[in-house]
Amino acid sequence: MLIKILLSYIVGYVQIAVEGYFAQRFINMCIQNNILIWNIKRINTTVFVANVSISDFRQLHTISKKTKCRTKIKKKKGLPFFFERYKKRKVLMILLGVLLVLIMAVSNFVWNIHIECDGQINQEEILAILNENGLEVGKLKNKIDTNKIIRNIRYEREDIAWAGLSFKGTNAILKLVKAQEKPEIIQEDKYCSIISNKEGVITKINVQNGTAAVKIGDLIKPGTTLVNGWLEGKYTGIRYVHAIADIEAKVWYSKKERIYKTQEIKSRTGKEEEKYSLKFNNLEINLYKTLSKFENYDTIVETKKLKIFSDFYLPIEFKTLKNYETQKQIITYNAEQIKEQNIARIEQEIEQTIEQKENIVNKQINFEEQDTYVEIEIIYEVIENIGTKEKIVF
Amino acid sequence: MRKERRKSNKLSDILEIPKEVAGNEPKLTIIGFNELLIENYRGILEYEEFYIRVNTYIGIININGFKLELKKMTDEAVCIIGKIESIDIENIADEEEA
Repeated sequence: MLIKILLSYIVGYVQIAVEGYFAQRFINMCIQNNILIWNIKRINTTVFVANVSISDFRQLHTISKKTKCRTKIKKKKGLPFFFERYKKRKVLMILLGVLLVLIMAVSNFVWNIHIECDGQINQEEILAILNENGLEVGKLKNKIDTNKIIRNIRYEREDIAWAGLSFKGTNAILKLVKAQEKPEIIQEDKYCSIISNKEGVITKINVQNGTAAVKIGDLIKPGTTLVNGWLEGKYTGIRYVHAIADIEAKVWYSKKERIYKTQEIKSRTGKEEEKYSLKFNNLEINLYKTLSKFENYDTIVETKKLKIFSDFYLPIEFKTLKNYETQKQIITYNAEQIKEQNIARIEQEIEQTIEQKENIVNKQINFEEQDTYVEIEIIYEVIENIGTKEKIVF
Repeated sequence: MRKERRKSNKLSDILEIPKEVAGNEPKLTIIGFNELLIENYRGILEYEEFYIRVNTYIGIININGFKLELKKMTDEAVCIIGKIESIDIENIADEEEA
């Protein structure tokens, strides 16, 4: 019933006023002839209004003759009448048609590439791989071979475990899962020796299996063999084994920095201005005419892709340039000030690189003052377990 | 004629078919005080803003109220909206039996 009424809105219906003494006969005849008639309203004793669909309206003529009623159209409703009204405005209709076609055409292209990754990844490198394989901004969606792209990404990048490419609107979404780097594990029954992976001085060496190649106090460099994976016996000769050893070494982490006493410091004055421009692919249209009114300034550029709805990106970029006025100041520090300001910062930087912070045994700060600059060197001494296993290749 | 109907009544009772589907008996549904749905009706005898007379197979239903409208109409059901004050029934079937 409701569907029929809705349908009649699409097909079109008219509101009619029926005038006559036999209103109920008119209604009954309508029903007998299978004419859908709804929203019947009495206006006064002789007149009522009702809704009838267009196709049924023609049949009403005979009924109104039989029942001696007069029918009159009061209102025309529905899509056919709606279109009729706009038929005269041809330009509007043509433009609407063109717009529809344009949107449909534009939606076939990729206008934005979005890379999602759980860890940090160099987006430009991935984009370069995508471009090589035919996924570029402005490419037709159905000409993109997603399987090939995924395959090539996985082939070219070893640090990616899984890649998925999907299209959402005009958006190409590439999801990446990074592979976790695993150390090469050598099985127990394979022969191996232990080599150093850091620079330092051996403090302890405890070999369980194999022959030690270094002594306590030896200076080692990355790549130095610490324990050889064989045993030499007087009678047995050389027998290869899987080297196992517990090696500790004193490792130094150091950082040297030269800090000048007179420094030029840029600071923002707080004044800022904004400029806008539009960008179509390679064509850029500036929406500003004057250059910046500031003498010294920093510029921060933000680009935003225009989109309709949440996923329908358009090939237009909106660029915002923010200019911040800056000031140059020349400040001279004395040696004490430099110490205060920088030591804590350098210490923190070094500590970030140290894996086993609880094993720090010594910290040394060297301070050397010259005429124009001060050199600070901070050295951390850390006792660490070192050594990685390496297969013996015959 | 009447015997036949009784038979069909028994059959539909066994099969648990709703009466309004099986026979010609009207079903009146009042939703709130402003909407009345009559299924299985025969025709409209009178229609005024304050009074509607609906003919059914077993009698006549009179509806009194204000601003009564025939909202939807098909050959099976009619939906009346408006302020319904009273509904009374004129039973023809009983009179015939008596």
